[in-house]
Amino acid sequence: MRIREMIEGRKEWRAHVARVKALPRDYQIVYKEIQKYLFKVGPVQLTEGTELLSGIVDLFEEGAAMGKDVLEVTGRDVAAFCDDLIKDSKTYADLYQESVNQEVHKAIQKVSKKTK
Amino acid sequence: MNFWEMITGSDMTKEMKSFELRVKELPADYQAAWEEINVNLWPHSNFTGRNLMPILDGVLGLLEETAAEGQRVQEVLGVDIKGFCSALVGEEGAASYRDKWRKQLNDNVAKKLGK
Amino acid sequence: MLKGVLEGCVLEIINRGETYGYEITRRLNALGFTDVVEGTVYTILVRLEKNNLVDTEKKPSDMGPPRKFFVLNDAGREELRKFWEKWAFLSSKMNELKERER
Repeated sequence: MRIREMIEGRKEWRAHVARVKALPRDYQIVYKEIQKYLFKVGPVQLTEGTELLSGIVDLFEEGAAMGKDVLEVTGRDVAAFCDDLIKDSKTYADLYQESVNQEVHKAIQKVSKKTK
Repeated sequence: MNFWEMITGSDMTKEMKSFELRVKELPADYQAAWEEINVNLWPHSNFTGRNLMPILDGVLGLLEETAAEGQRVQEVLGVDIKGFCSALVGEEGAASYRDKWRKQLNDNVAKKLGK
Repeated sequence: MLKGVLEGCVLEIINRGETYGYEITRRLNALGFTDVVEGTVYTILVRLEKNNLVDTEKKPSDMGPPRKFFVLNDAGREELRKFWEKWAFLSSKMNELKERER
């Protein structure tokens, strides 16, 4: 429940889902695909508070209110839009790799101390 | 020793329990996929499994969303769960997976918007 | 390359007075950057906010949801100054190159 808890508890998550459901159908489709992509890539921003996901909904609500087509808002390359959004954010895979490297580093130090 | 035993008794148990509760809500094929993901991810785990928690959380979120949409689990993960898992933790092949995910995103959008 | 230039454009537009995402996009489109979409501007605004170059305020809108308005703070103005400096350098070098080629 971490990602959801981070969006300030279940109540807030439900409110977030309700906002998504209130979007026009084509906006909902794109939002859901974006969310799936972000869950796979796992940017740390995803759990750093509400900004990332609710920010996208803000953007979409306003675009929808203006009667714009969803792809006019994101551009045709939705993936590029996502990558731009999380460009500065590390992913959990990055953190994982760092933690592994640290452990390997520690293990090597241990071994080299012993052999001294 | 499996993943579950490995983390039992650690402070991760509570979090794993909450995962389990969420998994029980999923369709059977999704539950099976979750098991397989765990089997494939646990060799990547450090002793407590702490470094895997956010990654597992993301995957579970993905499974929940796609199950709710009524997608088949193979459509979501592909047939190569092992490859999917190493991409999740940023191992070899992660870059090509990320490309695949990008393409999947844009293709799905195009397909579902009917354009 | 274009991304960095766009960021400068967005900073400059905000510097002219408090504004919001869709208006910035419209102004860029009017300038001739017709392929700039709101999503692109949005990613830039997120970054400016994250780097503390802007102050934001949500205000109700007569059409749709409340809008987030942006103004530059001191750090943002400094960033903009640096941008124009870099731009002046770049364009003088580009011109120099063009002259020499003749």
